[in-house]
Order: sequence, then C-alpha cells, then structure tokens
Amino acid sequence: MSVRTYDLVHRTTYEYAQPVTDSYGRTTLTPRDLPDQRVLATSLTVDPAPADTGEHVDWFGNTTTYFGVTRPHTRLVVTARSTLEVSRTVPPRAALPDVGWRAVARAVTAGDLGLLRTDAAGLVTLREAVLPSAHVTFVEEVRDWAAPSFADERPLADVVTDLLHRVRAELTYRSGSTTVSTTQAQLLAQGAGVCQDFAHLMIAALRVHGVPARYASGYIETRPRPGRPKLRGADASHAWVSVWLPGHGWLDADPTNDQLVDDRYVVLGWGRDYHDVPPLRGVIFTEGGGATPRVEVDLVPAGSEPFV
Amino acid sequence: MRQTARVTDLLSSPRLLGDGTTIAHRPDWAWLPPGAAPTDADLTRAGRQAEQLLAGHGVTYGADRADSDHHWRLDPLPVVVDEPEWARLDAALVQRAELLDAVLHDLYGARRLLDDRVLPPTAVLSHPGFLRPVDGLRLPGGRELVLTATDLVRDASGEWCVLADRTQAPSGAGYAMEDRRVVAQVLAPVYRQASIARLGPFFHALRKALVEVAPPTAGDAPRAVLLSPGPGSETAFDQAYLASMLGLPLVEGSDLVVRAGRLFLQGIDGLEPVDVVLRRVDAEWCDSLELRAGSRLGVPGFVHALRRGTVSVVNPLGASVLENPALLGYLPRLARAVLDQDLTLASAPTWWCGEERALRHVLGRLDRLVVKPTVHGPRTTTVLGWTLSVAEREELAARIAAEPWRWVGQEPVGPVLADDDGPRAAVMRTFAVAHAGTYTVMAGGLARVADDAVVTSSAGASAKDVWVLASQPAEPDAAVREDVAGAGGRAVGYGISPRAAENLYWMGRYAERAEDGVRVLRAVADRWDDYHRSPGSAGGRALEVLLTALTPAALADGAQAAQPADADAAHVVPRPPALRDLLLDQGTPGSVARAVRRLASSAATVRDQLSTDTFGPLARIERTLRDERTRVRARQQSGGGLDVGPVPPGSVTAGLRPTLDRVLESLLAISGIAAEGLTRDVGWHLLDAGRRLERAQRLVAMLQATLVVRRPGDVEDLLLESVLLAAESAITYRRRHQRGADVASVLDLLVHDRTNPRSLAFALDRLLADLEAVPAPRSAAQRDHLLHGVADLVAELDTVAVGNEVSEDGRRVRLADALGSMLWRLREASDEIERVHFVRPAPSRALDDLWGSTYGDPGEGGER
Repeated sequence: MSVRTYDLVHRTTYEYAQPVTDSYGRTTLTPRDLPDQRVLATSLTVDPAPADTGEHVDWFGNTTTYFGVTRPHTRLVVTARSTLEVSRTVPPRAALPDVGWRAVARAVTAGDLGLLRTDAAGLVTLREAVLPSAHVTFVEEVRDWAAPSFADERPLADVVTDLLHRVRAELTYRSGSTTVSTTQAQLLAQGAGVCQDFAHLMIAALRVHGVPARYASGYIETRPRPGRPKLRGADASHAWVSVWLPGHGWLDADPTNDQLVDDRYVVLGWGRDYHDVPPLRGVIFTEGGGATPRVEVDLVPAGSEPFV
Repeated sequence: MRQTARVTDLLSSPRLLGDGTTIAHRPDWAWLPPGAAPTDADLTRAGRQAEQLLAGHGVTYGADRADSDHHWRLDPLPVVVDEPEWARLDAALVQRAELLDAVLHDLYGARRLLDDRVLPPTAVLSHPGFLRPVDGLRLPGGRELVLTATDLVRDASGEWCVLADRTQAPSGAGYAMEDRRVVAQVLAPVYRQASIARLGPFFHALRKALVEVAPPTAGDAPRAVLLSPGPGSETAFDQAYLASMLGLPLVEGSDLVVRAGRLFLQGIDGLEPVDVVLRRVDAEWCDSLELRAGSRLGVPGFVHALRRGTVSVVNPLGASVLENPALLGYLPRLARAVLDQDLTLASAPTWWCGEERALRHVLGRLDRLVVKPTVHGPRTTTVLGWTLSVAEREELAARIAAEPWRWVGQEPVGPVLADDDGPRAAVMRTFAVAHAGTYTVMAGGLARVADDAVVTSSAGASAKDVWVLASQPAEPDAAVREDVAGAGGRAVGYGISPRAAENLYWMGRYAERAEDGVRVLRAVADRWDDYHRSPGSAGGRALEVLLTALTPAALADGAQAAQPADADAAHVVPRPPALRDLLLDQGTPGSVARAVRRLASSAATVRDQLSTDTFGPLARIERTLRDERTRVRARQQSGGGLDVGPVPPGSVTAGLRPTLDRVLESLLAISGIAAEGLTRDVGWHLLDAGRRLERAQRLVAMLQATLVVRRPGDVEDLLLESVLLAAESAITYRRRHQRGADVASVLDLLVHDRTNPRSLAFALDRLLADLEAVPAPRSAAQRDHLLHGVADLVAELDTVAVGNEVSEDGRRVRLADALGSMLWRLREASDEIERVHFVRPAPSRALDDLWGSTYGDPGEGGER
C-alpha cells in the first residue's frame, strides 16, 4: 500500500480599508486523523495574535478553533499548516457490497442495525444523515432530477457511480456562478455551479430517497500539465460527498471530478452540509465595510520547497 | 373588555351542575362569606379601573409605539383554584419539570433515550431547537432546565391537560405579577376577604436559582443580567418588569462582549464581568459566530465563554428542543424510563407524524385534529383541521407526507360548552423554577381567555389573575408589597451600558424639549388670542416676532420664518399659523408630540432604571394628544366637508390651552418623579444632565431670537413679558421689579441668577455637577473646556451694556456675539458628551464567506 506524504498550507487574508476593532472567528482547518489519513503535525496561526483562543471537538468530531482578536487591525491573516500521510485507495467495484439503495433506505427507517451494519449510536448518525439541513432541501426539482438514477433494485454503489457521472455530465463547473445561498433548484435551473453546489445536489438526491449522505470538506491536489511547473499556493479547497454503504462504511465520492476519493485528497472534516464545516467563519466589529478574502492553498509532497 | 368573556369561567376548579355530570362555567363565589360576592356592576367598574391602572403602568403587549392598541387586557374576574386541587397540580408540575430536566440532560449528554423504543431519534434531530454546538455543556447546580412554563387547559371532564411546554425563555411571569397587583387593587374588598397564595415566593426562588447556577469563577456575589431582544420585543414589558423585580440590569446583546473567555457588560465605566445571564433571546440568536450568523441580538463568542464555564445561561441554550410537540406523545414512556414513575399530568393526545403508524392516523383524521408543525415558521403554523376545505386538506396532507417529521396531530381538548356560548378558549400558564434540589411552582399563574378557538395575546386575548385559595391566611401586608421580591443593592453605575446611558440622557433632553415646547406654545397662543386681530398694534407686532422667532415651523413658509424678523416688514401674517401642529403633529419638526414620542421611546429602552410611576404620566400625555388629534380631525370633517382649508384665525387656538395644560401637568409629574423618586445614581445624573443641557440651549436660542433685534419700547415690553412666561420666570420677575420689564434685568434673571432654576447659570452649574458624577471613559477635557467657556461668557456678560449697545441697523451686537458664542459652545459640548460618555461598540458584520472564492477555475490539471 502506498503512502503519500503532504505539506499543506491554507492561508486566508482579509484586508480592510478601515480599521476593525474586533475579529471573532471559528475555523475548521485542522485535518482529521483517520485510519487512511494520519496527521503528523498541524498548527494554526492568526495574525494579529488573538487575545483568546480555544479548541473544540464539534458534534461531528471535527476539531475547530475559536479565536478573538480584540485590538484594532486592518489586516487579518489565518494560516493553517499541516503535514500528513494519506494512504486512501479507491475500492474496486467488485469489492463493494451489492446492497440495494431501497433496502438501505428501508433499514434506516426501520432501524435495522443488522442490515445497516452499525450500532445504536451509528443509527442516530444515519438518521441525521437522511434529514434536510441548512443547505440541503427536499424539493420536487431534486426529486425529479435524481429519479432516473434510482432504478428500483439498483445497488447503492451503482446509484452513487451514476450520480457522479450525471453531475459531471449535466452540470458545468463555473467559478463565481453561485453563492452560499444558491438553492439546489436554482443550481439545476442554471446548470452551473461550484464543487459545494455539486456536493449539496448529490446529497439532496440521496437523502430525498432515504439514503444517508453527508458533506465532506477538504482539499484536492492539483497536478501541473506535463512539462509545466506547479503553481504554488494555487491549490484549492474542495468539497464532496460521503454515502453510507452498509458493509463498506462511508464511501467518499467526488461529483465535481466524477470519481471516488483517493490519496490525492485530504479530509478536513464533515457535517450535514457546508454550514456545519466552513473552513473559516467570523464576525467583525467595524465602522467600515468588509473585505473579500484572499485565499491561498498549497498542497505539495512533503519536503518540497516550503510555501511562505 | 367584552362582556361575554367575563361571564364564562373555563379554568376555575370545576363545580358540577344539578345532575352531577355537567360542569358549570359560570363564576362561582360560594367560597366567599354571604353577601361578599362582587356584583356585575362591581366587575364592570373593576374592569374599567384595571384598564386605567394598566395604561398608567404602561403595561403593553407588543412593541412600543405611539398609537398602539397593544395595551395589556385584563379581565378582573380571577380564575379560582381550590387548594387541594392546586396541591395535586403543583406536584404534577414538579414531576413534569423533573422529567423534562432529565430528558434535556440526556439529549445533550449520553443520549440513551434516543432509541426507537423510547424516543425516536429523528424527533429530536430534526428539531431546530436541538443545538449541536452546545452538546455536552452543563449548568452548575445539577439542573439543565431552570425555568419552565406549562400551558394548561381544562378537558371535558374538568381535569388539567397540558397543551405545550415553554422551555426556551418562558414569558409571562412579570405579567402575572402585574395582573395580581392590579386585581388586588380593583377587587380589593374581595381580595382582602380571601386567603390567596402569594406569588412572591416564586420570584424569591428565581433569584436564588440564578445564584445557584453561577459558575465557580463568579465569587460570592454573582452578577446576573437579563438579556432582552430590546424594546421592539412583544413582551418587552414583561422583561423589564421582571428585571426590575429581580434587581437585574436589562441589557441587550450589543451591551455585552466576550473577552479572554469571559462575558462582560460594557458599562459606561469599563468592562464589568457577567456571571449569569437570564435570557429572553431565543438561543439560536445568542451568538452570531457559533449559531445564527448575522444575529445582532446576541454576542459573538458567547458559546465559547459557555464552554469555558465562566458564565451560565438560563435556560441553557438548546433547551427549546423540549418545546417540540412531538415529545408530548412520548412523555408517559419517558417518565417510566427516566423517573420510573407514571406521568401524572396528561398532555393533549398527540401523534408525531415521523412514525408511520402515527402518520397514517393523522392523515386519516385531518378533519378532526389540530395540526401543528414541530416548530413554527413563516409558512408553517397551527391549523385547525376542521376549518379546512377539502382542497386545503389535501394540500396539507401532501406537505405532511413530504416531510412527516415536521408535523404532529393533536386531539382538540377543552371544556364542553353550551352551543349559545360561541367559540371560547382559555389557557393557563404556570411557572416553575429549579431551586434547592426541587422545583418551586408559582402559586398562581397567567390565565388568558379569548372569544375564539385559540388564545393569542397578539390577537387581543384577555389575561386573568389566578387565585389559589390558601388554607393559611397570607401575611397581612403581603398583597400590597409582594412585588418587591428583590431589588437588593447594586453597585453605583453597575449595569448601565452606553446605550442605556445615552437613552437616559436623551430622556432628559426630550422631557425638557417637550416641556419648553408647551410653555412657548402657551406664551405664543396667549399673544395670538390678544392681538391677532390688530396686526398694526404693538401687540400685533410683538405677536409677529414671537411667531417667526419661536414657532417658525407653524408658519406656512418655514424658510422665510427662519430669518430674523424685520421690524419694518409687512405686518400681516399671510396664513394663520398651525400652532396646533406644533403640539399634536409628530411630523412637524420641533413639535411637542414628536418630543413626547421620543421621550416615550427612550423611556421604553431603560424601563428597568425608572420608577413605574413614570409610565402613568407618559401614557396620559400620549392619550391626551391622541384624543385631541381625534377631536380636531372630527371637527374638520364635520365642519369643512372635504375641503379642509386653513383654520379660520379665530379658531387657531381653540381648545389648545386645556390640552397644553394637561400635557404640562403630566410632564411636571415626570420631572417631579425624577427629582423626588430616583436615587442620585449615575442614571439620574445622566437624566438630569440631558435636561440641563437642553434647557440651556433652548434658553440661549430663545434670547437670541427675541432680544438681539431692538424693537420699539411698547413692542419690546410685550416681547419680554412673553419671554419671561416661556421661561417660567414671570412671577419672580414681577415680584422683584415693580416697573415693566427691561432687557438688562430680564437678562439678569434668565442668564446670571444662580438662584433661578430657569437661568443659564443655574443650568450650567447643575450640568457640570452632573457630568462630574458620571464616569468618563474618554478624556472629558474638551467637554469641560467648552462648558467652562460658556460659564465664563455668562460671568462676563454685562447685561446693561449689551442691552444698550445697538448698532446702526438696530441690532444688539455684543449680545448677539455673546449668545452666539454660548450657543455654539453648548452645541459642541453636546457632541462632546456623546463622544465621551456614549462610546458604543462598532457595528458587527459577518466575515465574507469563503464560498466559491477558494474554488477558482479548474486548475492546470483540470481537476477540481
């Protein structure tokens, strides 16, 4: 089994025209330690230095960090640095169980722990993962769009593969085409969005059919075209979907790139949708306006020239 | 007060009619000594008195506004419950509170109950009141549910039955106390003959409960605040009343800040730690960082401080998950699982549609059930199934089937009424507080009745007091004094935020502005009555000066009036002045009505700092102005038909004088309460400083407008007389000076005389003393420099010289210079006071979201 080691830097910079007296923030920028993803080192720095910080493991098990900067500033920089080993491999289709999506949905309703291959606490998690959430709503448009993928006795693994193909084939990736408040119905109507939209759409399609699905936040390594140097700091945050496949567990699937998640991905955390795990959210106090953040992500093999 | 609501009694201990099966719903006074029962006439009179008392106390339901119909309605006929029945209810309510507390404990802890055999997980997970960010947090003292309220009805057999539990931030305890105060007064003869359980012990227990939950960091005397959404809240009265009864500062989210993991109140004298928050803000709104983004009602970092264990909040964030009506059906099962007891108090039979069998049951009986969403939203409210058309029922069924976990069906529960009684509903809210290891139930509650199928205060339900007949007589003075549950000593200035400070200061200013406005109008109206028919006379010319100088807004062309009056200009005022608008019309700049409205709004935000007596006169002024407006409108419509042209000159002041007098009387009452009814704390000094500054500014402006231009002797005599009247110094002047008025001695009295409370010198002395007593978080040097500058100008003013030194164009130039200089300094000083004392935090906003911004065009490898 191959292991890939990464150095990861995620830096967000806000520059304000007028002073901000206080900045309060919460980050979900610490990668999760998982069987196929070991965190060797991780740190978070905030500049100016916060008067107060606090770490907290949230409802979903993600490590989040609170900070409060309480002296006036015109620039806020939040930098997360980690070194990790990723050994994730994509299971071949033959290795995935053939359980049908409808059987899974029925088992969630009935609380059939045997079929679901989980325990009582796990059932609570799965019941939560079939409910609508802040950004995932149950509307006719999603039901209609998803229906062709949910043929009656289809194995759930094939439903997932089909949804991945269809998102990639039927929707266009267009940066800036959506905002945090774009709904799935709007996304389908305009036919374009970004990775969070695609993740939300696929989650909605699964949940509306009673299949547990959650939202994953993380990164994907970009590789330069052959012969071109890698552009530093130009990697990206990313979002995808986890589906509960009884007998396998949570299966991570990336509708933006129509593939299952492998060792080119780094997982930060997961939740019901984007609302539960934004990398950074905050509140500022100022007489002036806000600022558009500048974001740099650098995901490179460990030992590369450091990104500063 | 509708008569029908009074004669039906749906909540008192049931009494059976002759055949022994039907319950009587007529008031029953059999428990009183013979002849003591109030007659219908007594009750009608009591109702009227109650209405007056409630208006006088400023008791409202709904946000503060001028022409509001949001007066709290009270039906004086109490709900009467026998002690044995109440004792059973009390025990049942304690059991229920203990059960809910245990459930809350589990839901944010071990979650052993989240099991299909006890409580289906989805019922909890789908409820927005289940706040994941506060999972695992614990309140010191062993309880999670500190304050709970229960809405109860009588069922057909006369038994109590729960409709809903209120666990978020229950309202109504303050209203219940106020209802008791009023009913005890208007039904005094009856009240005195009965042994009625007191409400006081509940409030004592609540005070102690707030101490019991204080974090270990709090020390011996925990500091608690009541967090309010602000005066725009529907139950603002209830909140302010409770705060002052418990002796807690009434604060808003913008008054608080989190620093170094602790919650602080941003007082006018710096940060003051807060240990306990009694909240009336819904949990989701309490922290714009961790909970609802964009909320201005809470404090970013509040949840962080809670996690640090440095502050406690009552009820804990997340407690509203217990309000989910889906739980009602599971409570009997939960009681056996958690308490190993049978649940004594029944709930209305309720089916949660998240379970398939329940869903089928509800969908099959939609026409007979009350259908409730598990949480109310803009498009989802309670529906009475039998009121729907077939089509509407089908639509509702489709909505339920799509998201069944969002709905419950509830059996309608209520007393059996004779057909001719019409729709009628009555609900009683009880209150319980965790204290000393158990729960203390208020021996009484808040009953509400409506001539409707449902009871809502916003739709005009009437409240009723709830009397629990005690076997032991209450303390003799209990009835009158029982509202003073606490109000222990509070450190000087503690709990006064810059927001409260600013409102107190502006209250003082608006009170003075209104009072001065009334006096000026009186002086001008007198001259109008005497001289408007003889424009060419000395009186007519004095009138013209007064109108343009003091009441320019009443003239048709305000711009022209703003210029100094030209002594040789035309003598006839083209249109009769709209003096009445300056009294009644809130839209007219500088009107009394506008100052009064702002006075009332400022007062509403600092209700906890004020004596309740303040609100009586305030309500009376607003009523007087409203009545007069109505009268004028009626007269215009009946007299002038559609053409409401200018009022004939003769009626410019018709009816004005009595209204002015009535308004002034109430304004004097307000200033009297401030002078005699408030302790000289920081709040009082701010109030007084506002009044003094306003008076100084208005006095100087009046002198500038009237005395700078020299007029012929006979005109000036009349002018000076009016100035003295408007400055409330005419009598003093006459006593001191036998002859008519002259400029120098008028200036002496109004500018120099330190013994005259209406003089500039007096106002400055007081203003400086007041400001001295108020903490100044920023340097006050500039403020003091300006004010001392005014004092110096006052001292230097040679009243004889400035009166006599007149330029060629007829102006008293030195007087003009001096007054102009004073006015400029006073206005600058006012800005400085704002800057020094009312430093409010900058507005907050959410950081721009990272959505999309990190996901540029697909990178070089084409993968994203």
